[in-house]
Amino acid sequence: MADMTLEMVQASQLGMKALGAGIAVGLTGIATGIAEMSIGSAAVGATAENKDIFGLALLFTVIPETIVIFGLVVALLLLF
Amino acid sequence: MFTPEDMSKVLVVAPKDQIEAVVRKLYSLNLFHIEDYVEQEEEGYEGYRIGMPLPHGSDTSRELLKLRAVTNAIAVQADDVSSKERIASSQLRTRIEQDLPSIEEEVESLLDRRSKLEAEAKEIEQVIETLTPFANAAVDLDLLRGYENLAVFAGYINAKPDLDVPHEVLTAPSKSGNLCILWVSAGHRNEVERALLDAQFQSVPIPDESGMAQDRIHYYKGKLSDIEKEIESVNHALDSLKDKHQGFLVACDELLTTEAEMAEAPLRFATTENAFLAEGWIPGKDVHTFIEGMSVATGGRAFATELDIDMDTDIIPVEYDNASFAKPTEFLMDIYSRPRYTEIDPTLMVSIIFPIFFGLILGDVAYGLLVLALALGLRKIITGDDGRMLLKILRNAGISSIIFGFLFSEFLGFAIPGIEPLLPNRHLAIGHAGGHGPAVPELMMMTVWIGILHITLGRIFGIVNHARQDHGKHRTLAVLANVGWLMVMYGILIAILSMFALPLMPNLTGWPPLVAGLTLPAFIGLGMLILGVLFIVRDSALEIVELPTILSHVLSYARIVGVGLSSVAIAGVVNFIAIGMFIEPQLEHLTALGVVIIIVGAVVFLIGHIFNTILGMLGGGLQSMRLHYVEFFTKFYKGGGKKYNPFGMIKKFSED
Repeated sequence: MADMTLEMVQASQLGMKALGAGIAVGLTGIATGIAEMSIGSAAVGATAENKDIFGLALLFTVIPETIVIFGLVVALLLLF
Repeated sequence: MFTPEDMSKVLVVAPKDQIEAVVRKLYSLNLFHIEDYVEQEEEGYEGYRIGMPLPHGSDTSRELLKLRAVTNAIAVQADDVSSKERIASSQLRTRIEQDLPSIEEEVESLLDRRSKLEAEAKEIEQVIETLTPFANAAVDLDLLRGYENLAVFAGYINAKPDLDVPHEVLTAPSKSGNLCILWVSAGHRNEVERALLDAQFQSVPIPDESGMAQDRIHYYKGKLSDIEKEIESVNHALDSLKDKHQGFLVACDELLTTEAEMAEAPLRFATTENAFLAEGWIPGKDVHTFIEGMSVATGGRAFATELDIDMDTDIIPVEYDNASFAKPTEFLMDIYSRPRYTEIDPTLMVSIIFPIFFGLILGDVAYGLLVLALALGLRKIITGDDGRMLLKILRNAGISSIIFGFLFSEFLGFAIPGIEPLLPNRHLAIGHAGGHGPAVPELMMMTVWIGILHITLGRIFGIVNHARQDHGKHRTLAVLANVGWLMVMYGILIAILSMFALPLMPNLTGWPPLVAGLTLPAFIGLGMLILGVLFIVRDSALEIVELPTILSHVLSYARIVGVGLSSVAIAGVVNFIAIGMFIEPQLEHLTALGVVIIIVGAVVFLIGHIFNTILGMLGGGLQSMRLHYVEFFTKFYKGGGKKYNPFGMIKKFSED
């Protein structure tokens, strides 16, 4: 590692940041997907039974969205 | 404005011979929310019975049932009919007697004919299905059945069966496999069956037809198309009937529905031998007209009066009372839950803040224009009440997006030349170097402020609600608990600010440390936090577990930036792919192929931005709604109010 120039170090730091941001969004996205999976299927079932609750069902389904948004926020803070 | 419409409880008492006059008047006033009478020997109501329907009730219901069967069959819907001229009730009644039966008869006979034809068509289709396997077999179908001493097998088989009995075989290859027809002597039937089973023989039924299968299929297909043509003509006749009569039919439906509803109203009243009484709710401002109207309609023989409301036991129906600007937002409120009579109705706040959140998220002039155009364009197609309200919400959201688009200086993801963004910059440098990226820290702090203010407003509403609804000691504790939540939130904020200097926030780091490195603001912040927690615990100790939501709820508003920036990023990527990668390189040396690539680039540009608008609308709408429902309403709103549903109907197709 001794022959690394300053530019190389900076470039690899930039790369690490981008990697970190990607991991943050990716993992939280998967987590949100898993959380929304069961809520979504229940919501679709409930809506099929009674169309009136569509709005509420949609809302319940997007509640775990918070997780991926936190991931996105972390990624943005890392990148900029 | 922040409270629902003021309601009064009224009582109508009249002799039984006035019941029809009273019901008619109640219906035409369209004000009286009937409180259903339930026979449960309540104190003061001993001996009352539920009333009987008006005499013409069952006839009307029967008539209505018949009419609905017809209108359903030819798909007449009230929403599709534009009510240009209304038919007078008296004229309608005579026409119901004269014209309606013949129309019903005509429709029924056509429907009968259609279902017969459909059954016939189905039968023929089945015959064709049994014939199809034999289409390629060069054998008269007569030769396949009617033997005394021969057994015939027909079916699909992969390999030729190895039979050691005398037999005649005919194979015909087709798309669905190799058809094989076998003739064997009847005595060998069982043996052959077993051998075929081993060879995985799939038997098909032998059709009860004579002649070549191909010819028969052709004959039946011709017959089928004749029947289909006939069904078409019946459908056409039904359509022309619908066009001719639908105005009349919806008017009949309306008239009969009102008659039926009126006839059934006494089922909701309490009656004695000679009199009846009806309890219900009307808006406070209409009490005078109501009492007077009752008296006029019955020649002074009905008695109507206002009753005292018992706030603890009465379930008071709720009607919104909002400025016309906030009316459409009632739709968003009803999706969650209607406010209770005694609590604050936040519709006005939602109607102001929802478009702002939407605009902050979408924040692009072009997308705002698209949303606005969509909201205005769909007005012709979507005619239902709920749909209209939704379109108005969308319209406001679109206008707000345009305004915030100018504040962010964004047009399809590009910066608007000559306009510096007034709000923190959201432009991303995608596909080209240079320029400074988005001001993420400032944007984040902006959303933190929005979150803090929104939650503060929610808590203030909570304080007002508790002060209004609760009594005695509990009231003080509940109000203080809400103050406590606010103190904890601001305490944490001040404590953080005393340690870190953050953009867009007051700088409290410059104070000299007092004890243990903590400054005065830090002490104030911690003090507020501890005091706040004490207030919360005094009301309910379990609430402690909710403390982390203070942070998570405030940070949740970061979605405004997160979702917003992602929409800017998609716009930037679309622009880069379409212009930077497809169009610009070709423009340098224009060739024939280049023109095609430029067109491809334009299509990518168009589809990409339409896709992004839809995403932005979904994201912007859902996320803003969620911020209200989850972060805002949980601070004060209970909901669960009963909808004010007055007895009556606004007539669209008929008039008295």
